[in-house]
Amino acid sequence: MLLDVRDLHVEFHTREGVAKAVNGVNYRVDAGETLAVLGESGSGKSVTAQAVMGILDMPPGRITRGQVLFEGRDLLKLKEDERRRVRGAEMAMIFQDALSSLNPVLTVGDQLAEMFTVHRGMSRKDARARAVELMDRVRIPAAGQRVKQYPHQFSGGMRQRIMIAMAMALEPKLIIADEPTTALDVTVQAQVMDLLAELQREYRMGLILITHDLGVVADVADRIAVMYAGRIVETAPVHDLYKAPAHPYTRGLLDSVPRLDHKGRELYAIKGLPPSLLHIPSGCPFHPRCPMVRDVCRTDVPPLYEVTGAPAGRGSACHFWRECLHG
Amino acid sequence: MAEPILQVRGLVKHYPLTTGVLFRKQVGAVRAVDGVDFDLARGETLGIVGESGCGKSTVARMLVNLEKPTAGEIRYKGEDITRLSGKALKAVRRNIQMVFQDPYTSLNPRMTVGDIIGEAYDIHPEVAPRGDRRRRVRELLDVVGLNPEYVNRYPHQFSGGQRQRIGIARGLALRPEIIVADEPVSALDVSVQAQVINLMGRLQDEFGLSYVFIAHDLSIVRHISDRVAVMYLGRIVETGSHTEIYDHPTHPYTQALLSAVPVPDPEAREHRERIILAGDVPSPANIPSGCRFRTRCWKARERCALEVPPLAVPAGFRDATGPVAHDSACHFAEAKQVVPPEADGAESGRGR
Repeated sequence: MLLDVRDLHVEFHTREGVAKAVNGVNYRVDAGETLAVLGESGSGKSVTAQAVMGILDMPPGRITRGQVLFEGRDLLKLKEDERRRVRGAEMAMIFQDALSSLNPVLTVGDQLAEMFTVHRGMSRKDARARAVELMDRVRIPAAGQRVKQYPHQFSGGMRQRIMIAMAMALEPKLIIADEPTTALDVTVQAQVMDLLAELQREYRMGLILITHDLGVVADVADRIAVMYAGRIVETAPVHDLYKAPAHPYTRGLLDSVPRLDHKGRELYAIKGLPPSLLHIPSGCPFHPRCPMVRDVCRTDVPPLYEVTGAPAGRGSACHFWRECLHG
Repeated sequence: MAEPILQVRGLVKHYPLTTGVLFRKQVGAVRAVDGVDFDLARGETLGIVGESGCGKSTVARMLVNLEKPTAGEIRYKGEDITRLSGKALKAVRRNIQMVFQDPYTSLNPRMTVGDIIGEAYDIHPEVAPRGDRRRRVRELLDVVGLNPEYVNRYPHQFSGGQRQRIGIARGLALRPEIIVADEPVSALDVSVQAQVINLMGRLQDEFGLSYVFIAHDLSIVRHISDRVAVMYLGRIVETGSHTEIYDHPTHPYTQALLSAVPVPDPEAREHRERIILAGDVPSPANIPSGCRFRTRCWKARERCALEVPPLAVPAGFRDATGPVAHDSACHFAEAKQVVPPEADGAESGRGR
């Protein structure tokens, strides 16, 4: 087990009150495995990742409960300087917006080389050589010349490759990619996802892919965790989840996506809106939008039930998962 | 096809590139839109797809007269509206309205919803007499699925999906015949996207609207469009009915674009062919000679650098009947199926 997140709770103190962004999240990632965390805006998928990485802004954020076990060590108990050694060297993150994640006044070569001078104590010359190698590795053409250029001189897809190179630099065991291709065009998205998958296989890294795109998930994930209002509502191997979802929210999401290989007039639409994190509904947080809602859903918070009769490791936070699975 | 409501011919938008402060000198041009032709029939939806920088939004902005074309014609019911001005222009603009992408920046935060939607009546008072406006606005809110009691609220009190409904209500206020929607759902979450797409479909049936629907998401365009035009670097490279484009694409760019779209079905990943294009889109300030797609095309030959392929039924398919015979700007057009055929005939998803 590479990463084991247990019962994680995160709150934000805002002027309007306490926003409960993450409410008891559990997930695990093995070496070489891709876990997709799927959710809409406000579902807590990015906040969970930030807490795992240790880059959550505190305050206003606060981790109120839980453990983040990385190879058995609870990262939340580490001091900041110990944490810093883990970050980058053992786990790294790729962000959605490469332009604002790179330093605009340093060349990309300097930024890549910095990884080696700071973490590995290399000389500037050696570090520079490694930077060129890395850029070559993520297939940036003419890496030798382009290493001297600034981020704005690269296209969106090339910048995202530089982000990947930076994350890969110290050969971490875990990569968290937060919407890595959302800002890119489809043809470039395909190039970048391909590269990421190839590097992951080669280095047997664990990958957490955070996304809202059901298509991207179907292409690359081994397992999926679906988040809603700060909770994981369903988790399953990718094939099982698409074949037969065990939570009405997952089912609704799958049905509401227009598909390239189908044409239909009316799309299924989940009624209503995602809840405000300041006022999460009682009982099951999905109950006001759920087509299967019953009285118990309004009062009792469903635990993540084990979905029996399915391959091990399926879970659903629905009191009526059986009906959903077979309905 | 019946008489088209909108005919676009040779539409061009070039933005000059200049140097010098005192003595400006034009050194080139960004050729954002570089010769676009299409027709829009009454009641139909034309989807325009393409990646960022292909000029699709510039086309949209010219259709609603937010940008003046450098050349070309936009004929509305036979009349070229690019030459109109004053009263005549104002009358035409009423009939072609726009829905914008970003519901967060396209609504004035200091105006109430009622004022945002009703503002159109200040400019076109002939549509609704003064005493009647309040009622009209409430009716419009109801039509787009918002509570009419919300007329006095401000945009920040609404979610993204609700704001996009307000944007649509504003677009409908003048009872236009054509709606140009530029990426109307791309800023919305999946579950809300479906609500807005369904709303647009319903409004089209109810009011007999014609849509120009611009998007980068090919799945959404397939869902909503009758006909589709694929743009690349300022030109349409392939156009046809949705079946022609999605099931029988003949232009290599369309094929690559379709093959790159992730399909939400993990079973498809093993047996789907992926065409991964090399490199990036060239700059529209420096468009390649001949076929503008040739720098990324795996089929490119010498002829492609010399001759601009016309947008017409390719020579090889001229005698063919059926869905392969449609306009495609490629010298070496070939039929190729890249989207997996519909598995079980289910209308949407697993069918419920």
